[in-house]
Amino acid sequence: MRALDKLWHALDERFELEPIVEFVTHKVVPRHRHSWAYYFGGLTLFFFLVQVATGILLLLYYRPTAEAAFESVQFIVTRVPFGWLVRSVHSWSANLMILSAFAHMFSVYFMGSYAKPRELTWWTGFALLGLAMGFGFSGYLLPWNTLSYFATRVGTDMVSKVPFAGAWLLKFLRGGNEVTGATLTRFFGFHVAVLPMLTTLLLGVHLALIQRQGMHVPVSLEEEAKKRKPIRFVPNFMLREGVVWLLGLAALAALAAFFPWELGTKADPFASAPAGIKPEWYFLFVFETLKLLPAHLFGIEGELLGLGAFAAGGLVWFLVPVLDRGRPGGGRGRTFFVLGWLVLAYIVGFTFASFAGVFK
Amino acid sequence: MRCSLAVATLAIGLAAAARAAAPAAPAAPVRAAADSCLSCHATLKDERLRKPAELATSDIHHAQGITCAGCHGGDPAATDSSAAMDPRKGFVGVFAPRAIPEMCGSCHSNAAYMLRYAPNIPTDQLSQYRTSKHGLALAKGATDVAVCSSCHGAHGVRPPSDARSPVYPTRVVETCARCHADVALMNRYGIKGNEVEEYKKSVHYAALMEKNDLSAPTCKSCHGAHGATPPGVDSVANVCGTCHVSQLEKFDQSPHKDAFAALQQPACEACHSNHAIGQPQDSWIGVADKQVCGACHSAGDAGATAATAISGALASTVAAEASVGARVARVKRAGMLMDAADVKLEDAHQAYIMATVEIHTAIPARVEKQTATALADTSAADKDAAAAEKEIRYRRTGLFVSLVVIAIAMVTLAFKVRSMER
Amino acid sequence: MRAADETPAVSRRIALNWLLGTSLGATLVAALYPVFRFVIPPRVAEAPVNRVLAGKLSQLPDNSGKIFRFGSKPGILIRTPTGKVRAFSAVCTHLGCTVQYRPDLQHIWCACHNGQYDLQGKNISGPPPRPLEAYKVDITGDDVYVTKGA
Repeated sequence: MRALDKLWHALDERFELEPIVEFVTHKVVPRHRHSWAYYFGGLTLFFFLVQVATGILLLLYYRPTAEAAFESVQFIVTRVPFGWLVRSVHSWSANLMILSAFAHMFSVYFMGSYAKPRELTWWTGFALLGLAMGFGFSGYLLPWNTLSYFATRVGTDMVSKVPFAGAWLLKFLRGGNEVTGATLTRFFGFHVAVLPMLTTLLLGVHLALIQRQGMHVPVSLEEEAKKRKPIRFVPNFMLREGVVWLLGLAALAALAAFFPWELGTKADPFASAPAGIKPEWYFLFVFETLKLLPAHLFGIEGELLGLGAFAAGGLVWFLVPVLDRGRPGGGRGRTFFVLGWLVLAYIVGFTFASFAGVFK
Repeated sequence: MRCSLAVATLAIGLAAAARAAAPAAPAAPVRAAADSCLSCHATLKDERLRKPAELATSDIHHAQGITCAGCHGGDPAATDSSAAMDPRKGFVGVFAPRAIPEMCGSCHSNAAYMLRYAPNIPTDQLSQYRTSKHGLALAKGATDVAVCSSCHGAHGVRPPSDARSPVYPTRVVETCARCHADVALMNRYGIKGNEVEEYKKSVHYAALMEKNDLSAPTCKSCHGAHGATPPGVDSVANVCGTCHVSQLEKFDQSPHKDAFAALQQPACEACHSNHAIGQPQDSWIGVADKQVCGACHSAGDAGATAATAISGALASTVAAEASVGARVARVKRAGMLMDAADVKLEDAHQAYIMATVEIHTAIPARVEKQTATALADTSAADKDAAAAEKEIRYRRTGLFVSLVVIAIAMVTLAFKVRSMER
Repeated sequence: MRAADETPAVSRRIALNWLLGTSLGATLVAALYPVFRFVIPPRVAEAPVNRVLAGKLSQLPDNSGKIFRFGSKPGILIRTPTGKVRAFSAVCTHLGCTVQYRPDLQHIWCACHNGQYDLQGKNISGPPPRPLEAYKVDITGDDVYVTKGA
């Protein structure tokens, strides 16, 4: 014990750690009937950490070439001890991370936490969700199986609709005119270098902002939060978050056990596309909407119009902290509150309808 | 000038002499310095007369230095048309059909002559032709039968190995069809005229046109080219057996061999038909409607019993291959290593293919020997799949145990938090 | 009185702590054990993609052949009567049976329909429509390696 004290003293003397300890021990999380929403950010972080760990493990054996990618994933799941588990957990954790990020985003949205002074936190969070989807999109191709190959072909094809820069963007994404081994190498680069770097950077900013500004309490819950004793961050909130993380771990174990991620069959670029090509579930609402649009609408290509609408919608969502002027008596605007529910209902509705086969 | 003209005249004189003496003493190739046939005919307005001159430049004979006069006679050195096409100089304008085989044969049957140009092509075409249905009809005075030029072309003859030749494997069927698809013409000779149409439904035609397998049989592979004649009842098997060696060998061991011979039935054709030879199906075996054995056998006789046994053995193998194959594919998709099972399935399929060859013996025991091997292989693959499924269940159990551990940790932690906050 | 009250509470707390420590430790082990196993490479240290050890030269006398495997797909390694080593796909181009070397014919032969290929893998007799796919052979000491698509 005395040795530890000494070490602490030595470190504190050099780096002035006392204020940090002071900050952490006094950090509290407000307690009210919607406190549960505060756990989603941490849960997303947990899944991200699982992704980093399992991703690094997969890197030990994965090979990013058209000739060897499928074989190396096959090698991982069939021959490497517990390779099936690592791969399955990586795939499931990716999906749960996106799910938990969505839950985090909507809970933040409905509590109006994006408003001043937390605009930047909202924006970095928005960008992080975009990056997470980028991780999903690029990682989906890496096993180089039939489904992922064709889903990537359809997915990348959409960027070609972008006015002016479409052709260039398509070439940039695919590393050529077609989805080939060059695309795989590129996506691998995005997946393990570009996106992790950007994510780490933005995540750092996002977390630092939260530490700096503390948890937001919605106006309607301020009374309640004042009355009730806040939760101390260390150790109470951390332990509570620990319970949630264990729940996340349990979910991963259960999913890996009962729904092991399939290997599929090796992609054959010359084969015709199999029926029922679908992207990952978090792109389904976009995918199905674009499919529903007529070929031409108001003299514009339907798909282009749809993509334009999604871009505009995304921009509105992004700019909510600026657009929502709030209510005179405090609190967030009703319009945006209703809009939030509409967006949530639309996304959830379309995703479930797609799974239920409504659009077939 | 005069000198060269003299040399040319001399050369042509020699050539003419040689032609007159052919095939006894064929001449060396003659390259005429000036060929008035070509230069004059190329300018003619009448297409019928101009075309031969145009086609001649792509003709194998022309390329080898055999001029128009080589076949038509006359004097290519003469500038005056009546002198050039003087019948006294051996000129023939349009050959009568009967004259064509003899004219071509005057060189092509001469082994010593052909040796100088194409040492590897046979020289028996004319003698084969004389035995062919075409040649026999021609000898009887028919003029609407095929002669050399009907298939090879008259002017612009290309070697059969040239993909543009009308007798190149992928084009020869259409060439035969020019006459053989003409029902009115064929009926005059007691032929149905639907043979080419039928052939186009066959696996052979599919192999030729879709897989571009130039070794796939065309009309001439079974009927002969120059000696074109339908193979007789007793020689059908030999014709098919030139490629389908194993099937013929098995057929020869079967009780059908003698029975078919006694009944004057063609061997292969009885079940496989002649022109429209389709992909054989296991479902053909039996005595029911649209099954081939029913032509001779009826329910209850020894043949029908054997057919039932054979088709049963094949059906059980096909079913086993399909179900085990699906099971193996399922566990493979789930991420299990199934190489060993794949190998066994391949072995099983090979045994099945061997069984389909053994069908030709018509002996159930011979077929069953192969299908038993196939079934042993599929059941071995099935065992592998079962083991893999067991491994999947084992993993599931392991994960379930850790799930319980995680749940306990979670619950105790929750209790801990509660007790701390009380 | 107080002591009597506290004892069950204390012992319950001790039990809770013990259970917590044990279950968290077990969770950690459950999470880390697969990781430790994962980083140790399996016996076959590489995904077999397009190169395999097909056989030993010393076990391949002149005028003989040997089947090897690329995953589950068979290949055939032959040594010609003059001692040359060649490798081909052993999948017959007709119906996909596995071909074999026939020392008596000095050819590659398919048992299913009597298809024959010469020592260069070219189809020379019977129904096979195409030659066998040829592989590249590298000999290192006594080891014969076969490379696909070269």
